[in-house]
Order: sequence, then structure tokens, then C-alpha cells
Amino acid sequence: MRLILQIVSWAALATTALAPVLFVAGQITLSHTKLMMLLAAIAWFVTTPLWMGRPKVDETLVI
Amino acid sequence: MADDAATVGDEFERERVPERALLGFKSFVGMYAGEHTAGTELMIGPLFVAAGVSAFDLLVGLLVGNLLAVLSWTLLTAPIATRARLTLYYQAERICGRGLVTLYNLANGVMFCFLAGAMVTVSATAVGVWVDFAPPQLNDVAPFPLPEGVYQSLDTFGLIEAEHTRRVESVNVGWIAAVFAVGLLTAVVAVYGYAFVARVANIAAPWMTLMFIAFGLVAMRQFIDATNAQIGSAADLWHFATTHLWKGGEPQPGQVKFTFWHVMFFAWFCNMAMHIGMSDLSILRFARKSWYGVATASGMFLGHYIAWIAASLLYALQLHNDPANTSVLPGPLAYQACGVAGLVCVILAGWTTANPTIYRAGLAFQAIVPSASRAKVTFAAGLIATVAGMFPAIAMKLLDFVALYGLLLMPMGAIIFADFYLIPKLRLRSDFAEFVGDRFNWAAGLTWLATLVTCCALVAYFGKDKIFFVGLPGWFVAAGLYIALSYLYQRRNRA
Repeated sequence: MRLILQIVSWAALATTALAPVLFVAGQITLSHTKLMMLLAAIAWFVTTPLWMGRPKVDETLVI
Repeated sequence: MADDAATVGDEFERERVPERALLGFKSFVGMYAGEHTAGTELMIGPLFVAAGVSAFDLLVGLLVGNLLAVLSWTLLTAPIATRARLTLYYQAERICGRGLVTLYNLANGVMFCFLAGAMVTVSATAVGVWVDFAPPQLNDVAPFPLPEGVYQSLDTFGLIEAEHTRRVESVNVGWIAAVFAVGLLTAVVAVYGYAFVARVANIAAPWMTLMFIAFGLVAMRQFIDATNAQIGSAADLWHFATTHLWKGGEPQPGQVKFTFWHVMFFAWFCNMAMHIGMSDLSILRFARKSWYGVATASGMFLGHYIAWIAASLLYALQLHNDPANTSVLPGPLAYQACGVAGLVCVILAGWTTANPTIYRAGLAFQAIVPSASRAKVTFAAGLIATVAGMFPAIAMKLLDFVALYGLLLMPMGAIIFADFYLIPKLRLRSDFAEFVGDRFNWAAGLTWLATLVTCCALVAYFGKDKIFFVGLPGWFVAAGLYIALSYLYQRRNRA
């Protein structure tokens, strides 16, 4: 579960970085850029608190 | 919890940091990157443009200035921090005595409140995107009418240029309410939810850094579109930067003209209190090695280079689109570039940095009145910050305020440096106040006062824009004075 959350978080961060680059390259419009960044922000702030700064649980011990 | 962590035992406030509590290099990289990518960066970048900065002066001046700042941390602050491993306050108390450190705490606490006020101002500008009220202008002083004599008095002290200051004709209730709401929320959270905010700040930091970069990229593209410029090479980009983005020329009315030297010294000294002022002894004492001071480069080059440049682009675009709109309002600027995500970034950047600043102000005040409850003192500091945030002059004159803040606290750094390295070599005794049980080392007190008087005299004589430079000679004046006065002080107290 932790790995999935981390993948979503990093994808959100990558989207935050990618959206303005695509806008600069003329590949997407400004409104699409803003929408992508908003969705990425939501994804980042929903998933990241669930793993960042939390201790890793050794799942083999949780029975 | 951070509140608990700040107790004497856990924070090693009056003892050396033990080996087991030392931190690795990465801890400092993350901490400095987060701390220096703050809400105020969104004010500082635009203010460079308002100061009529040119492309070379900005890009190269920031590069050199930030490098000098990193070197100051690495070569001056970190070596003392990792050898003494004491907080600034305890080290200063051993040198200066408790009485003088109390004065230092008071000055520190007041400046923290004003700085937090500027951060509250930044967050409150975001409220204006949703709520309809008149935003503050670049040359506003207060959100309500002031007697003409006040403007003239502020002008006399060099704090404003009365000629260019806008006279507000009615009370700006909307702005006051917005700042009050943001400030009150910040103060309450600083009291009860500091640990929560620290966690939000940690989570938001990587995202905010990318958002700052996004501001710059989006603004750049919009600028290119607005000017129909053709950028096909690095030479084209440089030509575009020098003719459109940072054109140089005259500053906005009421603003100081910034040259290469202004930019360089500002970048170097905007954290003067922390490096040559030795405030960061309290942080770097946890570093395993003194070279960990280079970790400050993460904050300098992400926050004080990329973020400032990106924020300056937002403002340059606004001026290009409407030269009459000189307001520096991070909320609307960020919203225009990156929509709701940009607005969230402004609110979080202001909020997450205002909170620890209010918390630190509370700690500084509590050191003066140890019997007062931390919650009450922190809340009072939050209220002072809220009231300060209502006055746009603090945020709109942030460049000057930051210079003043560093200048005020810098002499203590020179005293600590001289006491640590030079005093023992001159057969005098370090930590003399502790040695003789003195509450007020007048050699240090007089050094502090005389240095400030000297710096003020230099600014009064050479012009008020020299406030960005006088920290350098001031530091040497303070070190020299402290050594000379210590001869007298120690001879008298030993006799």
C-alpha cells in the first residue's frame, strides 16, 4: 500500500513539473496547465501525508 | 511534538549537543531548502523588478551574493557551531551575560513579529482573489488615513518617501478583515498546532519548490507570447531578458534603484542575522562536520535564486501587460499564472513560514519572561504579527526591512566570532560574563550600540540605499570594538 501511495505522490510531483514545461513547449493551453497542476496538487496532498514522515511498518510482522 | 521538543532537556538548550543527537548532511539540505522557499520570496522577486534591476545585475548579482552567503555559513558559522555545539542564546549568555541576552531576545522577537507580519500579508493577498476588496498598493503605508505629519516623520527617518507615498482616504475594512482572519488563524495554529504545521510544511516543501519554478516557466511563456518574441537560441533568450524581462532603467516611484552591488549585497546579507550574525549556531550545532554548512546552498539557490527570479518574472509580466498596475500582490500574480494551485501555493508558503516565525518570536519573548505561559506569549506574538501584517509598508518595503533586521542582530555575531577566535589569542578570557558571574558585559553592550550608531551614521551620510552595504564594515567595526573594549572590561573586572 505504501508503495502505491508513493508512486501516486511522485507521479503528482512529476505532473506539477511537467505541466509548465508542456505549456512552455506550446503543447498544452494555459487552462489545461492550470487544471493539471490543480489535480496534481490534490493528488500530492491527499496521498503524501499517508506515507511521508510515518514509520515504515514491517508487514511480515502484522498478522 | 515540536512544542515538547523545545524544552530544555530535549533541545540541549544549556549543554553541548551530544554525539547521539548529531544529524546527517541530508537533514540540513532539506531543512534549508524548506526554510528559504517561503512566502516572502514572492514579494522579494517582484520588488527587484520594481527597483529597476537589469538582467545581468539580477542573475549574476544573485549568483555571487548567494555564493557569499553559503561561504559565510560554511566558513564562519558552522566551524563555531560544530566546535562549541551550543545555542546562540546560551553562547551569547556566556559571553554577554543574561541581561544583555534579554535585550537581544527582545530585538529578535520584535523583528520576528514584523517578518511574520509580512508573511501574513503575502497570504492575505490570496484572499483578495476570492473576496472583493481594494488591495494595498506598492507605496501604501497603512490601510487607513494617517495625519500628514506621520508621513513626514516617517520620511524624516528615511523609512518612506512621503512624496511618492499614496495617501489612503478611507479605512480599507476588507483588507484589515482579510489580514485579521489570516493572522488570527496563523496565531492560533502557532499556539496549538505547531507540530501539525511543521508536518504540513515538510509535505508541502517539494511541491512548493516545483510550483515556484512553474511560476517562472509559465510567466516566461506568457511573456514571449505577449511580445511575439522569437527565441531560437541562447543569444535570443539573453536579448529577450535584457530588453523585456529585466530592462533596468528607473525604479518605480518611491523605490531604491538596484544595481549589481545592491543585488549582490542583498542576497548575501538578507540572512545576515543567521550567518555572520550567528543565529544559525542553534541549528548547525547538530551538524556532524562543519562543511555541512554548504547545505545552505539548497535554500540559497532554490529559494533565493530560482524562486526570486520566478517571482520577478510574474511581476515583470504584470507590468508589461499594464504598466500602471505596480501593486505587488503575490496572490493574484500566482493565480493568474497557475490558477488555484498557484493560489494554494501562496497561502501555504506564507502560512507555513509565518507559523514557525511566530513560534520563534514567542520563544524569544518567553526567554525574557520565563514565568509566562508559552501559549499566551506565542498568541501575543501572533497578534503583533497580525497587526504588523495590516500595514502594507512592511511587506512593500521588505528589501529595506530585511536589511535592517540583519543589521540589528549582526553585531552579536561579530562579538561571538571575536570571543571565540581572537580573544583567547590576545590573552584575554572567552565567555567572560560567565567567568565573573556578570549579568551585563558592557563591552559587548557598548559594541552592539556603537556598531548600530556607526552603521546608521554611514547610511545617513552616504544615502539610505547604503543600508544594504553597511553590514560589511559594521561587522569589522563590531569585532574590533569588542576586542578593544574587552581589554578595558576584563582588566577592570579582574582587578
